[in-house]
Amino acid sequence: METSGVIERRMTRPRECVATGVSAGLAAHLGWPVWIVRTAFIIASLAAGAGLLLYLWLWALTPWSPGDERPSRSAPVAWMLIALSAFCLVPVWLAQFTVSSDVVAELVGTWFGPTLAGIGAAVAAGAWATFIDRGESIRGPRHELTVRVVATVLLAVTVLVFVAVLGQSGSRTSTFGAAFTALAALVGIALVFAPTLIAQWRDLTAERTRRIREEERSEIAAHLHDSVLQTLALIQNRAGATSEVARIARAQERELRDWLFAGDAPLDSDLATDLRDYGGALEIDYPVTFDVVVVGESRERASGELAAAAREAMLNAARHAGGEVSVYVESSPAAAEVFVRDRGPGFALADVPGDRLGVRQSIIGRMRRAGGSGEVRPGAGGVGTEVRLRYPVERSGSENGRG
Amino acid sequence: MVEASDRSIDDRAVRVVVVDDHSIFRSGLKADLADSIEVVGEAHDVESAVQVVTDVAPDVVLLDVHLPGIALPAGTTGGAEVIRRAAPLVPGTRFLALSVSDKAEDVVGVIRAGARGYITKGSSGADVSRAVHAVAGGDAVFSPKLAGFVLDAFGAAVGETASASDELDRLSAREQEVMRLIARGYAYKEVAAELFISTKTVETHVSAVLRKLQLSSRHELTAWANARRLL
Repeated sequence: METSGVIERRMTRPRECVATGVSAGLAAHLGWPVWIVRTAFIIASLAAGAGLLLYLWLWALTPWSPGDERPSRSAPVAWMLIALSAFCLVPVWLAQFTVSSDVVAELVGTWFGPTLAGIGAAVAAGAWATFIDRGESIRGPRHELTVRVVATVLLAVTVLVFVAVLGQSGSRTSTFGAAFTALAALVGIALVFAPTLIAQWRDLTAERTRRIREEERSEIAAHLHDSVLQTLALIQNRAGATSEVARIARAQERELRDWLFAGDAPLDSDLATDLRDYGGALEIDYPVTFDVVVVGESRERASGELAAAAREAMLNAARHAGGEVSVYVESSPAAAEVFVRDRGPGFALADVPGDRLGVRQSIIGRMRRAGGSGEVRPGAGGVGTEVRLRYPVERSGSENGRG
Repeated sequence: MVEASDRSIDDRAVRVVVVDDHSIFRSGLKADLADSIEVVGEAHDVESAVQVVTDVAPDVVLLDVHLPGIALPAGTTGGAEVIRRAAPLVPGTRFLALSVSDKAEDVVGVIRAGARGYITKGSSGADVSRAVHAVAGGDAVFSPKLAGFVLDAFGAAVGETASASDELDRLSAREQEVMRLIARGYAYKEVAAELFISTKTVETHVSAVLRKLQLSSRHELTAWANARRLL
């Protein structure tokens, strides 16, 4: 049981590790102490770098242990690479000036390996800081920049030193070697900054793409505004406000508008937006058009009792009256008011039997319980019905707080 | 939802020029207008509109807010530009703005340029005809949305009320009542009945509000219009 579990288990790297998690992961996988694994790697590396290759291979192919948190590394690998680079390069610089120019020719050949290793380490430090340490808070805010600057200084001094050597050296090979090393260091500097440049270039491209897309969108919007919206308006105009065709055209117009001006509307649905949307939904189901007019900054939330009562009133108007219904929302410092006025046959509240709870309970009762007031009365001139809802602001504030 | 008074209409038909860059909309509107309205000219852009309007000097110009035109000044619409160029040449002509836009800045722009009213293009032919007659008779035509905008822009919701009748930057208490009722979908006649005043008085109040809307320098008018796309 246990053994089969061990065999089936995949090697993973722990997310909290020293540098890459390879040693710890391998140690856990093999059941060895970590220090033995590390020592084994170092010893194997002495054999023509086999250990190093194995380490890199495992690093590339071993997945992180499952989890969500970012891997964190306790060792400042970027700085260790910088130190390695300095350890390789600084003796080379000193050697160029402390020994006579005759020996320099020889030295260039001798120091060739360490110099390239130093350049490689500096580049690796920059890459590590850019790609692996990025976003790790324990490294500090300016970690990436600092590593890059130090790496650049190391490489730049190397370039200068070898350019100086170039002037002094006599033999062809040493000139060639010095030139090659200086060039390698220059390429190294470019590589240290390449990620930043690439990132900036990518940002620039993304920005340009976004702008082009935005322009295209506004062009389409202008075109649709000119053609499709006009046609939809004409259809509504010709078909009569409450006909099926006009309702479909109106719904389409609203959808198109929402798309054209997407992003302008506040995300949080307030009373006015909610009632507009609700009216739009009702227009699809009933032969009715809602004209929602909003005055004042609406502080009411769509979840409030006022909104619920207003929706009920709108539903009533759509169901029983149809035609054109005016909804007026006014938010003053003292109160929020909603008026829903239809031009249907109208009805007197007294005529509605008490057991039909619709209006009485869901509009008037609801408003009263919530601390506001509701009123249903015949519309002006005896035409249709007007529902008036009023909600004092202080109460609505506490109501929303509780809700 | 445009309501106009039941004032008696002159015997002769109201002469109208329809300005819209969409021929399909022009022909649709022409077919829909009441018999008492005679379309005497059409135009499709700013230049031709100015030309036609000054040539035939109609009673009313039905004017699309968004019109193409050459060298339009920035921040204005083709409709507003037509009024600005043509109105001084034909003092007897009144302009009624038509729009699908519902953008407050555009509609207020065309009203401030001198239009006597604003209706949406989705309005029925009967509504447009009523509005044309009202404008021809010298009245202002306020849709509920325009009334709502006026209330908002003049700070009526936060309780600002003019203390003197000649004050341009705020509405009087009566004007606010009238605007509120119009915003609630009341026709002028119904407003009059509700407030126990005559229809004529309602018209006077509406015209006064229109004048304030055109002349007021209240900064909210433009700021508010810019901040909101919906009228």
